[in-house]
Amino acid sequence: MSDHDNELSRRDVIKLGAAATAAVSLGVGHAEAQARVGGFLTDSEFAMLDELSEMIIPTDSHSPGARAANVAAFIDSRLAEAWDEKDRSDWRAGLARVDALCQQINGAPFMKSSAEQRSAVLTRMAQNENNPKAQEEIFFKELKSRVVYAYYTSEIGIKQEMEYKGNTYQVEFAGYDVSKER
Amino acid sequence: MPFIRIRQTPTPEVDLQTTYDAIVVGSGAAGGMAAHVLTSHGMKVLMLEAGKKFDINSELKSMEWPYEHPRRGVMPPSSHALSLNEYTVRQPPYAVGSPFRHVYSYVQGWGGSDYSKNIVVDEKDHPYSGTNYAWVRARLLGGKTNIWGRLALRLSDYDFKAKSHDGYGEDWPISYADLAPYYDKVDLYLGISGVKENLPHLPDSLFQRPNTLAAAEVTLRNTLKKMDRVLTPYRAGVTTDGLKHNKYRSKCFGRGACGRRAGGCDIHAAFDSPTGLIYPAMDTGHLTLRTNATAREVLVDPTTGKARGVAFVDTDSGRDYEARARVVVVAASTLESARLLLLSKSTTYPNGLANSSGHVGHNFCEHVMGPGVTGLVKDRIGQPRTLDDGRPGSFYVPRFRNLKDKNPSFIRGYGFEGGAGTTIFPEHAMETPGFGAGFKKSVRDRAGAYISMGGFGEVLPRFENYIDLDPALKDRWGIPTIRFHYKFGDNEKKMCQDMANAAQEMFEAAGFEILDVNRNMLTEGWSIHELGTARMGTDPKKSVLNQFQQSHDVKNLFVVDGSSHVSASCQNPTWTIMALAWRSCDYLATEFRKGNLS
Repeated sequence: MSDHDNELSRRDVIKLGAAATAAVSLGVGHAEAQARVGGFLTDSEFAMLDELSEMIIPTDSHSPGARAANVAAFIDSRLAEAWDEKDRSDWRAGLARVDALCQQINGAPFMKSSAEQRSAVLTRMAQNENNPKAQEEIFFKELKSRVVYAYYTSEIGIKQEMEYKGNTYQVEFAGYDVSKER
Repeated sequence: MPFIRIRQTPTPEVDLQTTYDAIVVGSGAAGGMAAHVLTSHGMKVLMLEAGKKFDINSELKSMEWPYEHPRRGVMPPSSHALSLNEYTVRQPPYAVGSPFRHVYSYVQGWGGSDYSKNIVVDEKDHPYSGTNYAWVRARLLGGKTNIWGRLALRLSDYDFKAKSHDGYGEDWPISYADLAPYYDKVDLYLGISGVKENLPHLPDSLFQRPNTLAAAEVTLRNTLKKMDRVLTPYRAGVTTDGLKHNKYRSKCFGRGACGRRAGGCDIHAAFDSPTGLIYPAMDTGHLTLRTNATAREVLVDPTTGKARGVAFVDTDSGRDYEARARVVVVAASTLESARLLLLSKSTTYPNGLANSSGHVGHNFCEHVMGPGVTGLVKDRIGQPRTLDDGRPGSFYVPRFRNLKDKNPSFIRGYGFEGGAGTTIFPEHAMETPGFGAGFKKSVRDRAGAYISMGGFGEVLPRFENYIDLDPALKDRWGIPTIRFHYKFGDNEKKMCQDMANAAQEMFEAAGFEILDVNRNMLTEGWSIHELGTARMGTDPKKSVLNQFQQSHDVKNLFVVDGSSHVSASCQNPTWTIMALAWRSCDYLATEFRKGNLS
């Protein structure tokens, strides 16, 4: 039967424990992995995601961007509770691949590169968006779709960026009343 | 915060010693209408609903912003919605072997799924087998009316007399003139929004305040006029002016919540069976409601051959009960009603109840979906932001094929549902290439510049398209489940090719840039418009019910839902289901009073 499952089941807790163990085996400090309550990513992975999200949807003269909309935190908390362990491992591998690609292109890790260098990495990742094949291209599609969803469902995305005028009571319906044509 | 506080009349406990005047099985559009009409005639009615009764207003939260929800409206990760791919590459039962705790039909893959997870059934509890079928079920008070699409259309004699028109299938045992007064009653009792178009194949209703059109939709309407086709504002089963006789429903305020999620309308401007029909019926004092009651058999008196009651399972305790009645009205949905009749085997009726014709479960039909078109409206790019979803629907393009002309490759027709303009979530962002400031601006500039529509085509009823009971598979309560033997045929395939071409042709004529033309059919079942498994007719050898949805075999048994439809039409069925049920229950009450049913 259907029910509300907002609480973590025993099985979920075991899975999350396994994720934390995986973080340790990847050489990430356990204390670091637990630094943000409820999240999955390490602080350094989180910082990278935060930067990537802002590069995809930046602050401009019209409205604040993904960083201000806390896009990375939303993605991180969804990863933490993802049902399929592969979601987490794919993301960890994807972010590691971005770093490796940056090292290859710029000779430095992503977070130690300049804005131009980072842009070069993202441009490479996005080059086959319609037909991604390489690991970093596939990861870009996943990254972008999650960033887009998180940003355009945020208060900043809906109200400031898209200036959505609905979800409120209207005296008259919006649009043209064609019953008055004739 | 819902702003209509619903106080229901306390329902009396089910009295299993009493013989009710009628038992109604199911509480959706058909069951709700049966309860309304029979109680208004003073009959004592027991309604059995397999699903639960809960405070739907606390569930729907139509005006909650996405960011006010921890997962932005998405259901918990332990739950899974079946995808088109799963329906295509796998055979039912689809939830078998799934690692997820709950598995739902595809509608739970839409935005806002967390608001409807308690409305649709868990496929793990409700398996079925056979051919591929995307079967969407809602088990709760009101059934699928809690999540319906609200397009409220009449059928015409192009449908009721379709065989006379093109030679295929059977005519209905009624004509439009028989049903028109009941369509009027449904319009006035429940409220409907629309614009009169004077079309013979899509008769007008008694409309309340009309729906509006977005700018690009007006462009398309004007284009289609030149092609002798029509685009009309969505005929919404929504009260736009309010209903003085119904204290449970508010008029529509164009909040824009309709298109955002599968779940329904918590001000109940959109019709749902509980607030539109059942609560008012309870207020008469003549209706007893028993939820969590899954009917497993219509019981028969072996000496008279008449129905004497219904055996049901309590879905919480698993215990069996029997309720007695002088008349049984089955309204469990097209497929569940056929299942119940087939389950009701006895020495008197070894093939199942009301099935001397062998037609129960057969002639199964519906609407085929898939072909459609998406266009870009260039002169809308970069325009100041407008509110385009502040209305209870978008547009409908009625059938134009095989009316005056005759298409060489297929019979019958199709219509399109579509929409244009801004929505709360810019879907095009997912398809907009690139990243950075240019990407962001492009998404912003193109918001509201898209228009799309998709077809709903009539699937022909065929005897060889049917459901029966699986000899082995059972549901969570041990009741044999449905096995599908159902495939689209050649007429549907040819119709769908034409549907895609016609959609493209109309958008091109309107000057829209074509972005995508979908030519593929979606999995059988996608339209959620199952019909025809216990059809009406004049010949008891070829039909299950007479023109009043009364069993040819068992005089005190009525089947008042979509299973009675003789053909699918291409027009959405809910309004017709309710008009027919009203007409039949008027007849039922008159016959009951005369003593002709007991």
